[in-house]
Amino acid sequence: MELEMVKYLSKLAKLSYTDEELEQAVKDMTSIIEIMDTIKDIDVTYDPYKDNHNVYLEDLREDVAQPSLPTDKLLQNAVNQDNCFVVPKVVE
Amino acid sequence: MTEKTVKQLRELLDRKEISAPELTKEYLKRIETVDKSLESFITVTADKALAAAEKAQERINRGETAPLTGIPLAIKDNICTEGVKTTCASRMLENFVPPYNATVMEKLDAQDAVMLGKTSLDEFAMGGSTQTSAFAKTRNPYDISRVPGGSSGGSAAAVGGDLCAASLGSDTGGSIRQPASFCGVTGIKPTYGRVSRYGLVAFASSFDQIGPIARSAEDCGIILNAISGSDPHDGTSSRNAVPDFNEKIGKGMKGVKIAVVKEFFAEGVDDEVRNSVMAAIDTYKAMGAEIVEASMPSLKYAIAAYYLIASAEASSNLSRYDGIKYGHRSDIVGSYNDLIIASRSEGFGDEVKRRILLGNYALSSGYYDAYYGKAMGLRQKIREEYADIFTKCDLIITPTAPTVAYGVNENIDDPKKMYQADFCTVTVNIASLPAISTPCGYDSKGMPIGMSIVGRMWDEASLIAAADAFEKQFSRIPAKL
Amino acid sequence: MAVSDYIPVIGLEIHSELLTNSKVFCTCSAEFGGEKNTRCCPVCSGLPGTLPVINRRAVEFAIKAGYALGCGINKFSVWDRKNYFYPDLPKAYQISELNLPICLAGEVPIEYEENGEKKSKVIRINHIHLEEDAGKLVHDDLNGVSLCDYNRCGVPLVEIVTEPDMRSPEEARVLVETIALLLQYAGVSDCKMEEGSIRADVNISLMRKGDTKFGTRAEIKNVNSLKSIYRTIEYEIKRQAQILDRGGEIVQETRRFDANKGETKSMRSKEDAHDYKYFPDPDIKQVNLRDEDLERLRAELPEMPRERTAKYIGFGIPEKEAKIIVSDKVISDFFEDALKTYDNPKSLVNFINGEILRRINLGEIDKTAPRYSPAEVAKLVQMSDTEKVSKNDAKEIFREMAEKGGDPEEIAKARGMLIVTDTGKVLEVIDQVIASNEKAVGQYVGGDVKVFGFLMGQCSKALRGAATPKVIKEELEKKLKSLCD
Repeated sequence: MELEMVKYLSKLAKLSYTDEELEQAVKDMTSIIEIMDTIKDIDVTYDPYKDNHNVYLEDLREDVAQPSLPTDKLLQNAVNQDNCFVVPKVVE
Repeated sequence: MTEKTVKQLRELLDRKEISAPELTKEYLKRIETVDKSLESFITVTADKALAAAEKAQERINRGETAPLTGIPLAIKDNICTEGVKTTCASRMLENFVPPYNATVMEKLDAQDAVMLGKTSLDEFAMGGSTQTSAFAKTRNPYDISRVPGGSSGGSAAAVGGDLCAASLGSDTGGSIRQPASFCGVTGIKPTYGRVSRYGLVAFASSFDQIGPIARSAEDCGIILNAISGSDPHDGTSSRNAVPDFNEKIGKGMKGVKIAVVKEFFAEGVDDEVRNSVMAAIDTYKAMGAEIVEASMPSLKYAIAAYYLIASAEASSNLSRYDGIKYGHRSDIVGSYNDLIIASRSEGFGDEVKRRILLGNYALSSGYYDAYYGKAMGLRQKIREEYADIFTKCDLIITPTAPTVAYGVNENIDDPKKMYQADFCTVTVNIASLPAISTPCGYDSKGMPIGMSIVGRMWDEASLIAAADAFEKQFSRIPAKL
Repeated sequence: MAVSDYIPVIGLEIHSELLTNSKVFCTCSAEFGGEKNTRCCPVCSGLPGTLPVINRRAVEFAIKAGYALGCGINKFSVWDRKNYFYPDLPKAYQISELNLPICLAGEVPIEYEENGEKKSKVIRINHIHLEEDAGKLVHDDLNGVSLCDYNRCGVPLVEIVTEPDMRSPEEARVLVETIALLLQYAGVSDCKMEEGSIRADVNISLMRKGDTKFGTRAEIKNVNSLKSIYRTIEYEIKRQAQILDRGGEIVQETRRFDANKGETKSMRSKEDAHDYKYFPDPDIKQVNLRDEDLERLRAELPEMPRERTAKYIGFGIPEKEAKIIVSDKVISDFFEDALKTYDNPKSLVNFINGEILRRINLGEIDKTAPRYSPAEVAKLVQMSDTEKVSKNDAKEIFREMAEKGGDPEEIAKARGMLIVTDTGKVLEVIDQVIASNEKAVGQYVGGDVKVFGFLMGQCSKALRGAATPKVIKEELEKKLKSLCD
């Protein structure tokens, strides 16, 4: 796998690497992709209709609202303010 | 006392030969003395355990005992426990305290089982050695210079080292069976959908299943009886009726057709392992089972298919860890983007990052069809091959792992080698089948060897019965820790 | 080159929240509003280990939305994950549908006026899918932070994706209006723009007249009012035309509409990698729909705007008036209910379109929570028609009903507006008036019929509330005629 590809993937994945780590990541990913490439030998395509678990409307959850989680419990693992999760200001 | 099976402990508790708090204290004492070197637990919840044991004893006194009332269990630290840290052995979740319980925990609580603590694992259950744990690099109870396997290494070592009566693990590509095999204990991966995944921190959603690790097949059945069943919180949990998983025990092996799929015994499997598993198959034959040969041509693609799908799902499942709602939040000052990149980069270990990259690769536009799409196609093909094999047999026996437990410094730096070692276990997850790993021998150094018995979907009872039948012909050598 | 040398090509992605009780993948309330983060649970806030469990009614509503918009339904529907990082999306993926959405192609006819000319057109729907809404961010400039409220996370949405069939801002505006009405009638969405329950992404490109190939498009995200949709498109046409005139190229990008400035601007930094990496969500089993399920849902659809308009025209209501009523489902439903009490459609429509809508438009009445019932209004109109109250008094009575509520007859009685025809009293008063106005009566008998008005006035004054003018007039005429003989 090329360095550029690893850089691109790390951007997609929101991960950052030092140059040294990046070099190792390229090595590791190249070796891993070698295994993955074994599937290039075989010609198969995925058929979503085969993955049918026979779920019908009546199997789905009934539309009944239940009590939510208390806000303090929701926020117990987070930096919070005014009963909200806090992030650096997002500018669109 | 701590080496007894759940079934034996049940009798002792019910006959009041030991009280639930006394039993819990025995295990806590053993954890305190042994776990410094074994490192199977990340968190020991001694106070909660004693309180739970007191409550269990009251229930026993009332004569309202359930099968697991007062039984001390260990829980893999990727199963959410309300009010008790659930770390997934990752810096990312070092201080995460879930505000809710996993469904399996609710079910164990309903029986007044006792949780001793949370056991170590490979970070986010990604690995086969428990050496990627950020907090407890668990060792093998048979030889502490070796790994316990993984990812449920803590849960398997705690059972193998008699630190709990039994435990819960989770299995995505072999994570219950392989450590059970390495630690000389029995572990079952139920059929996908048998046990609710609600509260199991997701690694690969279409493969993950929670299951028990115990000292006997029957114990596995007792625990599976407690945790199985449809769950309104898990749309993939099955509504199929839950049988008594121990109902087929003692029915004998006569006429049971067992397949030997030759690809599972091919190159890469150690001779000692191969011989031991083949000998176990002979034992079954002697018990009256019929042995048939079969083949799985797609096995050679299984590792790739498994890692592509599992990593794709993992890359998406692990995107929620951004340090905002929970988990490691970097001290870095910067934008939202800077913050989540720093939090993720600091919070995740190397193996997790590799899987996330692989998953992104498999799903990214331009590569999707060649990798993820094809892997999904292969998944269907492997399912079909299993379906075909099961027209000719009732059970399949394979080695659980190609080797016995290896040294703590071996393999783990070579992801490729590590991934390839999973070829015996992953197809079961790919095909959603149940499989049990149970000890079938020991190598020349005394390290346990495990065999896996694979069955049809929803037929865990036959696996437990077959493992139980073998157990009765086999003398297990406990770890000397 | 002038703006008029370009043809705008417009497609919309309309998001409309569905009126379910609970969210689409968890059991939290899906109601609008609530204190911050009080309608959240481990599932919709993306806690580790949680799983989505799909809401049956959300699926049913999406199907009904499809039928309302003339779509085919996919009998095997698959949910996918759309992966991206944003603080309003706690799981970092949105559950949506990519390849096998719940509704297939459909068609929505629209009608509008252009330069006083009536036009009609059919806009094609590409598909409709069911997905989950994201949370809300509140920006705290003082502390330089954004606050995340996840109450809206997981509220079910249908995304209606049109073909690029619209060619003017007006067509786009009318389409959204028409679709909102159809969804309201189908009973699946309240389509309240002000609560963000219907919003649109606008895709727009320009092509030169005579060209057949579409130009590069820009996507303007999250435009949340009919007016803004119109203005966004107007602005984009100008912006893109200017760029093309200069020989420039349109950048395919996502833009945002600033309603204050009336401008669109580019939204996302270019250095960011973008790839939603859609894949089937392994946590949700695919849903199969049987013919009988679909038939049941189609049969459950209530009378739609087109059918109602035709029905009203059949009642003898002029088309224009019928359309005014139908264009607001709340009003139309009110009318339907009022008809049950007083079966005089023409009269009711006159009163509703005149008096009630006037006061609603003045902001005097909250039409969603009026103090009067359809039955009460029907009774009032009937009283006015049978001259139990005068036309003017009827308006006055309605004003009180709208302000305080109450039975129209009671109000009329209390305020002395009720007309009770007492013929004995009428004759008595007429006799008195004739007796005390000998001169005028004499003039009338002498052939000066103009004084009738004076005498009538005297009678009416004395008979206020006791008889209708019609009765007074008849009796007075009869009496005077007898005097002439």
